[in-house]
Amino acid sequence: MPVWQTVLIYVVAPLAFVLFLAALTLPGGRKGPRWKSGQPWPHEPVWYEPHPEALGEHGGGHGDDHAALPAGHAPAAVLDAGSSAGAVTTTDEVALPVSAGPLGGARGTW
Amino acid sequence: MTHALETQSHHTATEVTAPTRTEEEERHDRIFSWRELARLDEALTMSSRETGLRFTLYIGELGKRTRIRAEELFAQSGHDLADSVLLAVSPGQRVVELVTGSTAARRIPDRACALAVLSMTNSFAAGDVVGGIVNGLRQLSDQAGHPPGLRPR
Repeated sequence: MPVWQTVLIYVVAPLAFVLFLAALTLPGGRKGPRWKSGQPWPHEPVWYEPHPEALGEHGGGHGDDHAALPAGHAPAAVLDAGSSAGAVTTTDEVALPVSAGPLGGARGTW
Repeated sequence: MTHALETQSHHTATEVTAPTRTEEEERHDRIFSWRELARLDEALTMSSRETGLRFTLYIGELGKRTRIRAEELFAQSGHDLADSVLLAVSPGQRVVELVTGSTAARRIPDRACALAVLSMTNSFAAGDVVGGIVNGLRQLSDQAGHPPGLRPR
């Protein structure tokens, strides 16, 4: 077998295959600069909630829509929506900052 | 898809006109890539579905008194607060606050919360916000277990 054929089959072909897989799996350059710890966070606050169907509630079925929840507004509007969705607890109807019993949790800094 | 709740509303729509959502759409795209958004969506929804608790995620400023602000946000997160968990991350201030309602706190004791927060802060210190959140949510939902009616026999 000619030398060039040997090289082509046993070197170039596997190399091309490996490079092809590398191009698929290695992360490409990220769009824009990555945020590093210590830098200020430049974005507006965002709040994510789980899909309403995750809790077996009859949510709106919005799909890709984003619901706006203004944090500056009184909580009464949100809590009304909450109690009308079927989750009725007597403490929810009052706009108190702590209405869900003793709150637990944790705090961390870095 | 996850509902992203804006903390500042831009409602200029009426019943007759179309909703003005274009500004919010590109904003979500700029903070995280779509792939990262999908990971967050999946983590939040799966955690909520598996545990029966309501996990919400807030990423943004928490002001000077971070714990007070986190508890205020928790109170606004709607629905059944006793079963809710709020994960509030402020990358600019380098603080993460975890708030659990009374029922949720019984299933996820504060010690488990502290462990989850510790692993999250390690990820955040390395600059990985989304990965830290996803792993933290998984730890919390593993700790909470399944709701009583759905536990495997």
